[in-house]
Amino acid sequence: MQFVRLVLGGFVILGVIYICVSLYSRSVRREKLENWWDEAPVDGMTREAYIAEGMAKYEVGLRRKLIWLIFVIPPLVVGTIIYFIN
Amino acid sequence: MRNIRRFIRIALLLIVGLFLHYVMPQQDVARVTSTEIIRTDFGGWQRLFFAQADSGQVDNVTRDLRLINTERLPTYMFGLIRGGSPETMVYRNEDTGWIYPPYFKFDSSDLQAEASAAISTAVPQEWVVVTHYGWRIRWASIYPNAVAIRPILVADGESPLDYRPFPWVNLIIFVVLIIGLVFVRAMWMQFRERTLDPIADSAGDRLDHVNADLAERRGRFRRWLDTWKSK
Repeated sequence: MQFVRLVLGGFVILGVIYICVSLYSRSVRREKLENWWDEAPVDGMTREAYIAEGMAKYEVGLRRKLIWLIFVIPPLVVGTIIYFIN
Repeated sequence: MRNIRRFIRIALLLIVGLFLHYVMPQQDVARVTSTEIIRTDFGGWQRLFFAQADSGQVDNVTRDLRLINTERLPTYMFGLIRGGSPETMVYRNEDTGWIYPPYFKFDSSDLQAEASAAISTAVPQEWVVVTHYGWRIRWASIYPNAVAIRPILVADGESPLDYRPFPWVNLIIFVVLIIGLVFVRAMWMQFRERTLDPIADSAGDRLDHVNADLAERRGRFRRWLDTWKSK
């Protein structure tokens, strides 16, 4: 029963953290794109299009997938602790 | 106002500090003198300082509690400060289970067997490192929970009493906590800068518009009133 509580509770908490981190990461990426455009605008492209393209690239990129590690690392840590304690 | 805020901040810091001091592992250089099992009746808030029944068993009001009686070298601040002559210390030995605190300890029976095997009353005495968390509060019968026992390995000629276990785990936990805190702060700043401030700006903007509108209308009303005045 306790194990079920740990898994469900952990899943909910990690889910909240995942959502927060992915929103944060997206926001940081958009800010960076804005700054890059403001420093050196690309010819033949509007600011919005440039940012939209950069965001589309981000959505399929590795950086976004790395956020899934939030769900991977804690169970590994728990497994390691269980191994070393018992 | 500033005093109230300072008070709240200090209280918060104190609570977090005490909590960390309670749940973080600490290592004592100790000598096991005996092990025993006593029946305990938990009461009220004292229950907070005990774990639940062994994993897989039903939790009742009354149950047996494994204790490890030792003599240990007193240490403070996670073992970094050391002082005084050996003192008596009694550890409880309970499963922490799956939830709190997250030690995931299920082997208290095995630990009890190890502790029994490490009993040392005759000279030369055998000293071990007892990893534990929690506090010994004598007036409330509260014991720290032993998590692991390991032998002290020292070179020939060195006394195990001079051995100082380094709190690596605490170091790692503190580093992770600080990184997490910095990250949360960065997230909050980003959220404020990109989401809250624009909302506040647009709200302030709208408020300005409303005010300007109001002033304009009042001006018109005033002008209309003025038309009634005799010139």
